[in-house]
Amino acid sequence: MSAIATTSGVKSGVNGGLSSRVAPWVFLSPFLVCFALFTLYPLVQSVVLSMQTTFGPGATKFVGISNYRALIHDPLFWIALRNTAIYTLGSLLIQLPIALGLALVLETPGLRGRSWIRLLLFSPSMVGVVFAAMMFALIFEKQTGLANQGLHSLLAPFGVDWSLDFGWLQQHVMSALIVASLWMFVGFNMTFFSAALQNVRKDLIEASVVDGAGPIRRFFTVTVPAIRPVAGFVVLMSVIGSFQLFELPFIMFNNTSGPDNRAMTIVLYLFQNGFETGDLGYASAIGWALAIILLACAGFQRLTARGEEASAA
Amino acid sequence: MQEQQDRLADLLPEWLPPGAAIVTALALGSTIMLLAGAARAKPNEKSMWTFARPHYLMYEPRIAAWNKSGRTPFDLRLLSLPAMERRMMASFLGNVPSADVLEVERRGVSRTFGGPVDSVGFYDLTDKLKSEGLIEAINTPSFSPWTTRGHIFGLPHDVHPVMLGYRADLVEAAGIDVSKIETWEDFARVMKPLMADNDHDGKPDRFLLNMWETNQDHLEVLLLQAGGGFFDEHERPTLDSAINVHVLATITTWLAGPTRFAADAPNFTAAGNKLKSDGYVVSSFFPDWMGDIWKHEMPSLSGKMKLMPLPAWEKGGRRTSVWGGTMLGIPKTAVRTPKDFDVLWEFCKELYISDQFMRDLYREGGIVTPVKKYWSDPIFDEPNAFFSGQPAGRLYINLAPLVPNRNSSPYNTFAMYRTVDALVKLAEEARATNRYDMPTLESRAKVYLGEAQRQVEDVLKRNVFLTAGGAS
Repeated sequence: MSAIATTSGVKSGVNGGLSSRVAPWVFLSPFLVCFALFTLYPLVQSVVLSMQTTFGPGATKFVGISNYRALIHDPLFWIALRNTAIYTLGSLLIQLPIALGLALVLETPGLRGRSWIRLLLFSPSMVGVVFAAMMFALIFEKQTGLANQGLHSLLAPFGVDWSLDFGWLQQHVMSALIVASLWMFVGFNMTFFSAALQNVRKDLIEASVVDGAGPIRRFFTVTVPAIRPVAGFVVLMSVIGSFQLFELPFIMFNNTSGPDNRAMTIVLYLFQNGFETGDLGYASAIGWALAIILLACAGFQRLTARGEEASAA
Repeated sequence: MQEQQDRLADLLPEWLPPGAAIVTALALGSTIMLLAGAARAKPNEKSMWTFARPHYLMYEPRIAAWNKSGRTPFDLRLLSLPAMERRMMASFLGNVPSADVLEVERRGVSRTFGGPVDSVGFYDLTDKLKSEGLIEAINTPSFSPWTTRGHIFGLPHDVHPVMLGYRADLVEAAGIDVSKIETWEDFARVMKPLMADNDHDGKPDRFLLNMWETNQDHLEVLLLQAGGGFFDEHERPTLDSAINVHVLATITTWLAGPTRFAADAPNFTAAGNKLKSDGYVVSSFFPDWMGDIWKHEMPSLSGKMKLMPLPAWEKGGRRTSVWGGTMLGIPKTAVRTPKDFDVLWEFCKELYISDQFMRDLYREGGIVTPVKKYWSDPIFDEPNAFFSGQPAGRLYINLAPLVPNRNSSPYNTFAMYRTVDALVKLAEEARATNRYDMPTLESRAKVYLGEAQRQVEDVLKRNVFLTAGGAS
């Protein structure tokens, strides 16, 4: 009896050990299979592809690092990079301060209709980018567009003759894109700041008031340090989102990169190469260049955050 | 709930957990549904995709009649142009089936020519067209957009000669006689009175031509008319040719400066239509398909418009150009046996080459057939109410043999946009520096077109499937 019990105990112990070793992998396997199939393999394949000239998967030729070399000397790539950087800076320097300002206004004690204002400001981000792009393409039309007509009428009483031929979609492409993205995303970023502001410790604010700090001093010495982690996250997400800009210019400029490539972005250039001329190899090289830029941005953000944490400690 | 789960677990083998069983059941169920859907498709039915609603409406009754005749039935589908081009490219690049017959627009087709010639996704029709005498029967320039490296991959749908459509009501009220216009210089001089500033706001009340530096179609029309273009017959880039330099410099004087006579009234938009209806621009480029669009979008202009041949670049020069183009092609993936090809080819000819199609094409779309033997048909002499009773078909047919060739290249669209970039830079620079003399404009045009040429050459060099600088 005791022998049977011992054998049974050993058996169950072995089974239990095997199960505990295998079970996690069984549970992880759906994710691992999908990850390997849809992320890891394409990632590796895109490196291989970036070293080929292709016309679809059927016609490929290994060209080594030629695509990367060509990319460095490709004026269109640099135009795309410059445009994307300008748009990113515009988004960061205009959109985020406005979003923070709106959040500060929204968090003003005693503000009436707070929820409605928040809804109003947030609602554009629920609109599809394609729809917004089509709308702004009409708004920025010459002669008949709302922007030129509105500015023409508004400025006329001040003696300013705003030209109906003002080229929002020709000479001022980046301004048009930044205005459109401002309308779409400022409310979205505002909600992050709003949430961060709600978590600023009230006792610190009260203490600073008691110490005689004015609103500006209070903002920079209490509020800003408290919302810094969220602000860092919003900045990083905005940089990544801005570098991936595609639908807005693609639709606003009727599937083109705009006059003199003024609406050309890195992702749009990638799309044109990969899916319009069929050179998936060159498109992959552009994709890797973009990935490296984004990794550098994320690394820089991490380093800055770490430095701040260290100095705070 | 727990009891139900236990009962379900009891029904399943030990190695199959309930969650996995549900996922498997869903996968099996959806597979069966897909297979059942595929089985419901009529056996031997072929499919055709088109991108244009007017074409779809025109073909529908004809395909219904074809299907009733007992021949292999066809299913016609309407897709948006970008959706169709992407599906076509995906199917060609991945060598998987799409439709059996594709009706495709010119720019979409040239993209399929980027690889080795034997990897083009369309069936090569050259021998068939030759053996059936269709090469001679069809207007030669109509083949050029569907041809690469000497191989023809499509059956042409049209010729698309371009004329100038003008507001006859405004022109005639001003006492202007357009028969005195032979060249673009004549056009600017004779029509000039229409640019008067009657409302005294310091700006002309109207402009003579709908054209702008950002419009790639207008630029291509004018380049081709002048004998320029983006590629030569060997598919080598010619962006910085002397003709292109001259055309860009001249156009700049139309768009800016003291001799400006052109303004932007965008095509196919409500804003542009309003400007045209208001008479902000007096004339526009009119390929044969444009009349039908204006008729539907701006019916108020019916009886107020007339057509005239394009003014030439020099006396005795070409009075027309070409804009747009469509073909029928047979994807290689649709041809599994020689019999497949015969069925599809018969269908293509029935759709595009028959006299009934010629009439439908003209009556419903205002489009002139590329099949020369039909050009004498009296239908083309009928007066057209939109064009103030002019026999529009006859006017276009008179110009059809003069339509220029468009040499095809997978980088046609790329080259076109680089040329537009050059024009945009040139026009903006001229406005900024206020210099509009031809020697300066031509020297600057040469610089900007030189940049564009280099960019196209660089892209061509990267494509190892084509020999450096041109197609093999």
